[in-house]
Amino acid sequence: MNLRLHIWRQAGPADQGMMKTYDLAGVNEHMSFLEMLDVLNEQLLNAGEEPVAFEHDCREGICGTCGMVINGRPHGPIARTTACQLHMRSFKDGDEIYIEPWRATAFPVVRDLVVDRSAFDRVIQKGGFISANTGTAPDGNAILVPKTDADHAMDAAACIGCGACVAACPNASAMLFVSAKMGHLSYLPQGQAERSTRAMNMVLQMDAEGFGGCSNHYECEAACPKGISVEFIARMNRDVAASALFGRD
Amino acid sequence: MRSFSVVWNTTIIQKWVMAITGICLVVFLLAHLSGNLLVFLGPEHMNAYGVELREMFHGAAIWVVRLGLIVALILHVLSGIKLARLNRGAKAVRNDKVEHRTSTIASRSMIYTGLLVVVYVVYHLAHFTWGVAHGEYYHVVDHLGRHDVYRMVVDSFHQPLITITYVIAMIVTGLHLNHAISSALQTLGINHPRYTPMLRLAGPALGMLIVIGFLSIPLGIMFGLVK
Ligand code: HEM
Ligand code: FES
Repeated sequence: MNLRLHIWRQAGPADQGMMKTYDLAGVNEHMSFLEMLDVLNEQLLNAGEEPVAFEHDCREGICGTCGMVINGRPHGPIARTTACQLHMRSFKDGDEIYIEPWRATAFPVVRDLVVDRSAFDRVIQKGGFISANTGTAPDGNAILVPKTDADHAMDAAACIGCGACVAACPNASAMLFVSAKMGHLSYLPQGQAERSTRAMNMVLQMDAEGFGGCSNHYECEAACPKGISVEFIARMNRDVAASALFGRD
Repeated sequence: MRSFSVVWNTTIIQKWVMAITGICLVVFLLAHLSGNLLVFLGPEHMNAYGVELREMFHGAAIWVVRLGLIVALILHVLSGIKLARLNRGAKAVRNDKVEHRTSTIASRSMIYTGLLVVVYVVYHLAHFTWGVAHGEYYHVVDHLGRHDVYRMVVDSFHQPLITITYVIAMIVTGLHLNHAISSALQTLGINHPRYTPMLRLAGPALGMLIVIGFLSIPLGIMFGLVK
């Protein structure tokens, strides 16, 4: 199939950047979206032009490295699918496709479709455990975890940290991400010890990074390739309020 | 220990402020509406209600409620403006192409509908509370010498321009409420698969009901249901 691509090109953080149009012929419908971009880049290299920079790693939808806004939707038109798992059969011959980077003040563009998501790492660090050796590992089933709690924790832990929630949000809010990271700890007994402190620390870091507030548009939930529910945001709202009212840190 | 202001100014606590004050305002709207609907029962009920409101607990009740409303409104507006600016700054550059899936015109224009409500409230108070706008309808007394609230309302809404203004204001308020009520529940951490699907419908429905209730008065008067 033949496509017309409109792609955001930006040489570096300080560059203005602009949309550029490329015609790409002979795209195979079994290619993934990233493979289609690989083909485009081959052509650009052969023509002596700069290839389009984009991030990727696993290409199987589990690492959260890839991410681009495709026709106005983070990760493209198919629900619960990362850009790397999106296939060209979801498009048709003659389509025009707009490909842009995540847009958020907290995610500055590094180059083309690559943005700096280290703000997420700093939020995670605020919620992290410290390791202190206190003897041998506890017995496998010494701490009981109810099945439903384990399931909820796993649902939250499905977050791959790709940032699609931030990209989809009209406020560039990171609440779905932060609430998922908070939630997968707060549903487990091991996460109770620092639950209150963690909630406040992570939210303060989230705000400091320049992410917006949550207006409950729920665009994040619709965009999340792992289908993380905004129920986790409600849970975070409860935890943060409890921390504000009763937390002693 | 973190100071009050650090915690108060987090996005999440600011949203709690929005939700709690917003719900206070919704409760006020429900009370205000139930009082206003007395207009359909005639001048006796309406004017007696007006006197009752002003004289309850030697005139203290109305001031306690007013004070609460003023505080709620000020906090709601201040936090609303603060969050709206913050949110705009967080998304300083937008994608060329944006496809909205779950957000609505109502949810994306809360700050605009909210600010329009402020403008409307000032006009509304000037009209019915202070008697400075359309004063000719304000300074009337009934046969018992009471402030003739009924006459004031009915005569006002016989003016098409006044009626149209109120209808527009109610549509704007309706847009705000369309998103506000179920959104507040989420902010307060109330979200559960057992009932949230229902509440997401009930919120806009309650908002719609409030607006239809308020609209029934100017429209009822204009179309002669109330004389
Ligand atoms: C009739 C009066 C009003 C009522 C009943 C009302 C009610 C509410 C409620 C219940 C919410 C939901 C809060 C949440 O999502 O947790 C809300 C949100 C909001 N209100 Fe109001 N409101 C009123 C007037 C105003 C005014 C005068 C403003 C002016 C600034 C305003 C600005 C906002 C904004 C910006 C939001 C969204 C905040 C966000 O999600 O980021 N509202 N309102
Ligand atoms: S490249 Fe790993 S999720 Fe897409």
